[in-house]
Amino acid sequence: MPEHVLELNKVSKRYGSFTAVDEISFSIPAGSIYGFLGPNGAGKTTTIRMILDILKPDAGDIRILGEPCALNVRHRIGYLPEEKGLYKKMRVWAIIAYFATLKGMSNKEAKLRAFELLERYGLKDYSEAKVESLSKGMGQKVQVLSAVAHRPELVILDEPFSGLDPVNQEVLEQLIHDMAQAGQTVIFSTHIMQHAERLCDRMLLITKGKKVFDGTLADAHAIIPRRVILECAGDIRPALDSSSIVGVNEVIAEAGRKAQASRHWEILIKEHTDPQSILQCCINAGIPLTRFDHTQPSLHDVFVHLVGSDAKEHQLR
Amino acid sequence: MRMILLIALREYGENVKTKGFWAGILLFPLILVGVFFFQTLLADSTPTRHYLLIDQSGQYSEAVQNAIRQEHQRRILQEFVNYVIENRRDSNPEQTAASANTQIDQLIDDVGADEVAALDQWLESGGLDFALALASPYLRENSPSFVPPRELFVQASLPEEVDAQANPEQLLEQLRPWLTGERQLLVGGQTSTLFALILIPAQVDDAIIRPSATPTTSNTITGIQYWASNLTDTRLPNAIERSINSSIRDREFTQRGIDVDTIRTVQRTRMPINRLDPRKDEGQEAVSVADTFRQWAPVGFVYLMFISLMQSVQYLLSNTIEEKSNRIIEVLLASVTPLELMMGKLFGIGLSGITTIAAWLLSFFLFIALYPSTETQLLSQFFNVLLSSDLIPYFVFYFLAGYALYAGIFLAIGSLCNTLKEAQSLMMPMMMILIVPLITMTFIAQDPNGPIARIMSWIPLFTPFTMMNRAAAQPAMVDLIGTTIVLLLSIVLVLWLSGKIFRQGVLRTGQPPRIVEIIRMLKHKQ
Repeated sequence: MPEHVLELNKVSKRYGSFTAVDEISFSIPAGSIYGFLGPNGAGKTTTIRMILDILKPDAGDIRILGEPCALNVRHRIGYLPEEKGLYKKMRVWAIIAYFATLKGMSNKEAKLRAFELLERYGLKDYSEAKVESLSKGMGQKVQVLSAVAHRPELVILDEPFSGLDPVNQEVLEQLIHDMAQAGQTVIFSTHIMQHAERLCDRMLLITKGKKVFDGTLADAHAIIPRRVILECAGDIRPALDSSSIVGVNEVIAEAGRKAQASRHWEILIKEHTDPQSILQCCINAGIPLTRFDHTQPSLHDVFVHLVGSDAKEHQLR
Repeated sequence: MRMILLIALREYGENVKTKGFWAGILLFPLILVGVFFFQTLLADSTPTRHYLLIDQSGQYSEAVQNAIRQEHQRRILQEFVNYVIENRRDSNPEQTAASANTQIDQLIDDVGADEVAALDQWLESGGLDFALALASPYLRENSPSFVPPRELFVQASLPEEVDAQANPEQLLEQLRPWLTGERQLLVGGQTSTLFALILIPAQVDDAIIRPSATPTTSNTITGIQYWASNLTDTRLPNAIERSINSSIRDREFTQRGIDVDTIRTVQRTRMPINRLDPRKDEGQEAVSVADTFRQWAPVGFVYLMFISLMQSVQYLLSNTIEEKSNRIIEVLLASVTPLELMMGKLFGIGLSGITTIAAWLLSFFLFIALYPSTETQLLSQFFNVLLSSDLIPYFVFYFLAGYALYAGIFLAIGSLCNTLKEAQSLMMPMMMILIVPLITMTFIAQDPNGPIARIMSWIPLFTPFTMMNRAAAQPAMVDLIGTTIVLLLSIVLVLWLSGKIFRQGVLRTGQPPRIVEIIRMLKHKQ
């Protein structure tokens, strides 16, 4: 197995004058869970379609499982598209088996595998049901199973969590973990950061067709400086040691709220600084604190930080 | 190749499970049975029709009654001929007029050639009893006895309160409630609607039209009045017209001193016209019913082809749209190439089209085997003729070729649309084109090697239909081979181009594209 299951090099796709994907480059190591994040309309689905050779890129090249074209290795790839759909009239087990046979499994093997998956992921009772009788979420689970039934080396899931209830979201997370455990590489796109935070080894963030971040969860957290929230009566600024902080903001209370005696501060600290040192500073300066709070920025914050302004702008237009 | 097979099998399997498929398969035999069943039922269930005859001239009542008697005899004669054809020992559609040597064949042939003369002869020679005696040696031993049809038109007597001697206007006024169905006649203790009133005024002879007389235009009704609210059943007025004219003419002949019998004899003189086919072997040139049928059979095939093609192609379209609107297409395209997907669909749905045709033929076979009657007897004989002719290979080839051609086009249309509604507008021109061979079907059968037939054969979209249409007429070799090459090339081209459209179309969302966009898709290089 090559070291990287997927490599993109300056891949671009244009629709007329609109650039959907703009010179994206990244590579995904084998055996990892890779999050593919970005706001709506960022170019995630287009990128995925190009990876799968459903769309041809206008520029750049893609190597997937060591091949220049997904067509040659399509039996080793599993794909769940963003917009979910199944043949309404088919039985649940049959549709999973059908897609598995299209990926090169024998009919007998595919049938056994379908029933095994349905049992393992809690859909045993629906094996013989027709797809049209399933609820939307259940149908989606069936589709996920049909995408991975043939034990692909590389699994690409486009928005797999949308439309699932929290219980089934957990089942799906379990499935992704199981696959990673079995040495399969999983790429999934989402705009729900909690899933990415819980699951991903690495993640890629794109917005407006451009890559804005590519790295591990720790890298992502490092983008936004850690913050310490303080509340005290006076001005805190003179007391702080400027060598350990990036900046201090006073958080002004909202208009409706009653003016408070204490003032509210947000202190951005440097990467390797211990938040305790800030506390020490305050004590040394004799400033009584009414609140001391130190938080890890969430991936959500990172996401908003990186794409927030763009996404909002997009929304308003 | 395995992918194509897998897709084809799924398409076929799913298609066969749909209600529409079974409706298509079962509808044909149902219609077949229905047509035959209801025909016999309707024929038996036509009620006896009562008419009133008021002859104030006192001259024509006999002629009218004669006309109705003759009409009845005519029906007996026809039924009898059918009966003989059905029950004769050696029924053979290859029989030609020339090879008929028995009297009974002569009778059947006469009925076909000149019904009036045959009817005269039938009445003269003693009608049904004589014919039964004549036919009995030629009938199968176990054949059922002949049941003559009952009388259809029966004279009713005038209602008591109506005065037969009143003038025509008053008479009509009195009888109007019966004619419009407001009042019912009482015949033999049962009520019945008055079907028709035949009113012959006293001075009717003044209305006779002679070639020498200048036609007068007036609004008054002259001549015999036939009143009936049923406008479609014209058997009675036609028979009366024939009979009265014949009696007037007889009178005119007599007045001019011409012997009526001589006239009759002259009128029944006729020259047989033998239809011969120069392409047949010597001594076998006479054209039989089967020959004529063979010439017309391609029309049936064209029709079958049209129906089956329409069905398959529609299914292909709706199925592609389903996959597209469900976005299943994306999963499929991650597993198979667009070409594999397209070919798989083409084969799978083509196979279900063939299944439908096979099922129809099978039900047709079963029907004619299990439902004996004159018509099915004839049908089965024609069917045998058909199977022994060389039309079947033509049909198989042109059906498959036509299917591939149109399926390619409709697949491309389907790939461009998200809903059937969107597809309708793109389908319209194709439907118009598909109708053309259906319209020209009869015309081309009559002039199979004429210029229009030849030109149409060279237009690939029409080739399968038109060449099938011409198949029985030995089209020129250059047409046969040339059009086949053009057709095959067009199929390759259409499939290649629709493959291109398909590939780009299936992932499209939103409005169906404009023509310019389609052209851009065709130019697109992959």
